Amino acid sequence: MPPAITAEQLSKTFRVKVRDPGLRGALEALLRPRYRDVHAVREVTFRIDPGEIVAFLGPNGAGKTTTLKMLAGLLYPTSGRVEVAGFVPWGGGPEFKRRIALVLGNRQQLVWDLPPEETFLLNRAIYEIAPAAYRERLAELVTLLELGDVLDKPVRQLSLGERMKCELAAALLHHPPILFLDEPTLGLDVTAQEAIRRFLTEYRDRHGATVLLTSHYMQDVTALARRVLIINRGRLLYDGALDALVARIARTKRLELVLGGDDGVTAEALAAFGEVKSFRFPNAVLEVPREEAAATSARLLAALPVADLSIEDPPIEDVIRQAFTRGVQEDDS
Amino acid sequence: MNRVADWARRYGALIRNAWLVDLQYRASIVLWIIWGVTEPTIALGIWWSIAGDGQVGGYARADFARYFFALMLVNQLTIAWDSWYLDRWIREGDLNYRLARPLHPAHEAVAENIAYKARSGGMILVVWLVAALVWPAVRLPLAPGRWTLTALAVLLAAAMRFFISFATGLLAFWTTRATAIMGLHGGVALFLSGRIAPLTLLPPAVAGVAALLWFPYMLAFPVNLLTGAVHGTAAVLHGFAGQLVWLGLWVGAYQLAWTRGLRRYGAVGG
Repeated sequence: MPPAITAEQLSKTFRVKVRDPGLRGALEALLRPRYRDVHAVREVTFRIDPGEIVAFLGPNGAGKTTTLKMLAGLLYPTSGRVEVAGFVPWGGGPEFKRRIALVLGNRQQLVWDLPPEETFLLNRAIYEIAPAAYRERLAELVTLLELGDVLDKPVRQLSLGERMKCELAAALLHHPPILFLDEPTLGLDVTAQEAIRRFLTEYRDRHGATVLLTSHYMQDVTALARRVLIINRGRLLYDGALDALVARIARTKRLELVLGGDDGVTAEALAAFGEVKSFRFPNAVLEVPREEAAATSARLLAALPVADLSIEDPPIEDVIRQAFTRGVQEDDS
Repeated sequence: MNRVADWARRYGALIRNAWLVDLQYRASIVLWIIWGVTEPTIALGIWWSIAGDGQVGGYARADFARYFFALMLVNQLTIAWDSWYLDRWIREGDLNYRLARPLHPAHEAVAENIAYKARSGGMILVVWLVAALVWPAVRLPLAPGRWTLTALAVLLAAAMRFFISFATGLLAFWTTRATAIMGLHGGVALFLSGRIAPLTLLPPAVAGVAALLWFPYMLAFPVNLLTGAVHGTAAVLHGFAGQLVWLGLWVGAYQLAWTRGLRRYGAVGG
């Protein structure tokens, strides 16, 4: 099966005007404009197979959204090749656009003053969805996203979570095989975030859709995507399984202890086994070198009154932060 | 489903949504209609008092009345606000989802124009009919040929003003001053398109400049066609030829701005 998304040596450079602060800077910018090239995306290459859910990770300004917009055909790449659903996005025309959905967490297509159903009806006409298919798909989306109560309320009266659910419904009525989601859970509370994640997994399972999403919430990533693309300063640092990334970057393991007996164990006693990340009797967390985790655990069990012990990877946020700041390759030792 | 039916459904849905949104902003629509009536009424009041019992540049009081009532209607039927929408779409990133849909954003703009013009033009027509009931001066003869030609000229003028506004709005791809440029255009058009006075009353030098540009074809030509000030095959053909040439040039400007603009689009705002 051909890949759903192919990007080869994809680059995007923006030319931005630079100016010094103040009136003088403004005048100079007017008389002698100066420009600077910003390399938003540099020679990024990856392939995504049909049905995959892939998370795109990177700090703000890393190039995630720019890449997503090039894949969706909104931006012209400066160089490189892209193919999405068999189309070159910026020349794909309506036939290409029927095959994708683009959801931007901070921008909405719902008509602000009208109930969401009016936007759905508009999209039914724009995407030329037959009435029977529309009814069936809307019923499915209403059930999966639990939208029953909100369809007839003006969008401006909906909560952020309700709005995002309606955005997803509006974007998926035409059953696109490829979904580009930029921060779909931005600003949502935990319950709404979980609802969106459940929906996306269910939707992918039912319809075999390919999903590429960006998010700053690690829960989104761990719950949805087995594969991650890490990008920083426009360069792709890592493309692979999330588990493998943790094994590759995390040089430590966390030993989470519940101590038994009385509170005779001191922080100093624990420090002999590893770095004490937190200690509040009876709970303690130690960080130890990855390869010594098993041996240290055995020594701990023998030396201290341990009621419970578990060996964990460091929090995924820490791993990703390390990947951003130190890169992935250099840690591959 | 055939293509025509699909497009009719798309436009139907877009126009319906535009009207549904309008219903949420009833007060602002009333205010715009009041402004649409007030501006030509003020101009009429001024020329009315200047004309007195005589004529100014061939226009007596009744001629001015017919001119400005026709102007009121033609202006509402041809006015285009698209540069303000385009500027916002581009600067704030609302163009993004519009570009991701299988429908060129210009269709949404055209549908908005149809919705707006049907609503405002309809209201102005009612205002005119009520005025005509009590004021014979503003009555126009029911000449089907003239009304048909006027309808065609209004359509071409509306298309031209749409492309002027849309193409100027697209300047937002390059500058943050697109609406200011459109405002400047509106200021010049106030004089050169015949909004403030019939063009024959302009100083000859200014009228000469206007004749070389697109402004008279935006308003003055269809208005004069409706009032009967433009008549005779040669004059009518000259007017339509001017409209077609300038429409073609503005469509070209729009196409250039659209293709070049998209290439440099930064897709800002998420």
